[in-house]
Amino acid sequence: MYESAATYQPPTDLKTPKAIEGDQLYKSFDRNQVLKGVTFALHEKENLVVLGKSGTGKSVLIKCIVGLIKPDSGDLCILGNNIKNIESEDEWREIRRKVGFLFQGGALYDSMTVRENLEFPLKRQPNKLSKGEMKTAVEEVLEHVGLLNAINKMPAELSGGMKKRIALARTLILKPEIVLYDEPTTGLDAITSREISELILHMQEAFGISSIIITHDMACARLTANRMLILYEGTFKAEGTYEELERSPEKWVRAFFE
Amino acid sequence: MIHQAYRLGYRSLTLVGISGFIIGLVLTLQARPTMVEFGAEFYIPTMVTISIVREIGPVLTAMICAGKLGSGIGAELSSMKVSEQLDAMDVSGVNAFNYTVVTRVLATTLMVPLLVFYADAIGLLGSYFAVNLEGEMTLKLFFQKVIGSIGYADIIPATAKSILFGFAIGIVGCYKGYTAEGGTVGVGQAANSSVVAASFLIFIIDMIAVQLTQLII
Repeated sequence: MYESAATYQPPTDLKTPKAIEGDQLYKSFDRNQVLKGVTFALHEKENLVVLGKSGTGKSVLIKCIVGLIKPDSGDLCILGNNIKNIESEDEWREIRRKVGFLFQGGALYDSMTVRENLEFPLKRQPNKLSKGEMKTAVEEVLEHVGLLNAINKMPAELSGGMKKRIALARTLILKPEIVLYDEPTTGLDAITSREISELILHMQEAFGISSIIITHDMACARLTANRMLILYEGTFKAEGTYEELERSPEKWVRAFFE
Repeated sequence: MIHQAYRLGYRSLTLVGISGFIIGLVLTLQARPTMVEFGAEFYIPTMVTISIVREIGPVLTAMICAGKLGSGIGAELSSMKVSEQLDAMDVSGVNAFNYTVVTRVLATTLMVPLLVFYADAIGLLGSYFAVNLEGEMTLKLFFQKVIGSIGYADIIPATAKSILFGFAIGIVGCYKGYTAEGGTVGVGQAANSSVVAASFLIFIIDMIAVQLTQLII
């Protein structure tokens, strides 16, 4: 367990290679310094849960990983590509195809049906699929999230939980190696939250996906986390399994679990 | 692009058509007493045609499109921006700019001139209707005078500025939508400022286009 940014180093004892590695990442907005030397690693086939109070930069961190926000300084390697060496949008697009992102609100395209939402990214990939292959891919991924019957519905006709599942299906349809979840269970009831958490676990088991899960939902964290990091005042200041952190001698760490 | 052209152009036909018809009709009714007073009643079609083709048709249609299409584009894109739909496109490896901005700007640039031609035609029909409310002129004679009174020097500059109007409406709407911030308030502001900025830009383009036309022709 790490108590301060000065002593924190990414673990070296995990067996799988690193899918993402961040080293001394800094990001500020005007005078507001959000990330203050964030160092972390996500290993392949690992579910890494990131905890932290609101406004501590958790979403900023995962947006840096997909290139929606550019860090001011520091190194960030995604699947072996250092983002400092990524020069064009086309190169970013290539990486983004391997890194899925589940937005907090789902971000479904509200003028399209569920089927069109899922077909949309498929139609715009370099490797074009035939109509039949696309139909199969859409139906398969909807079956995985248990919503094949919603295929012709509009997003406005779906509940919050269904929207999250469809958004997850849209992320998975590109067969990403990594998925970043931005508060996947926020705004959902306990039962639906558990269903989403189980779905995250299922995705890890079925497809070997590595995930970073940002959440305030401790039930989700308990169910999904292989390892947890706590972002505090712009840096990761605690790390461990759910049980380790729950028994932390530090009061501020235990406060997340109470 | 074809989908956007259909959405933005075809669905504006009714509004543009009714507005064009009323403008043609009212312009003729307003001009008629003065023309009659000067014994120039026979020239009403000529006067109305030149007014509509050169100025009223393009500017009026562009203003309607700024209100309908500009606000629609601004509201739609800003709503997509604040609900992270544009980011969702980017992170799925889709070029969101190409898909949202380029298609809409091309669609307005193509559709506004076509809507102007349509509004001109319906406006002239409205004028013919007004001429026959108090006088008598056959449709054939009316349109013979219409065709005889305009030339390339009227049509080409009007078309050129209509293309610029369409481009301005599309680019302003997309810019305001793409740069919106602040949730639902941002959506409202983007829609509103798209109309204001596009309308203002239409007058500026019109002023420059008229000056250039007079210099060239």
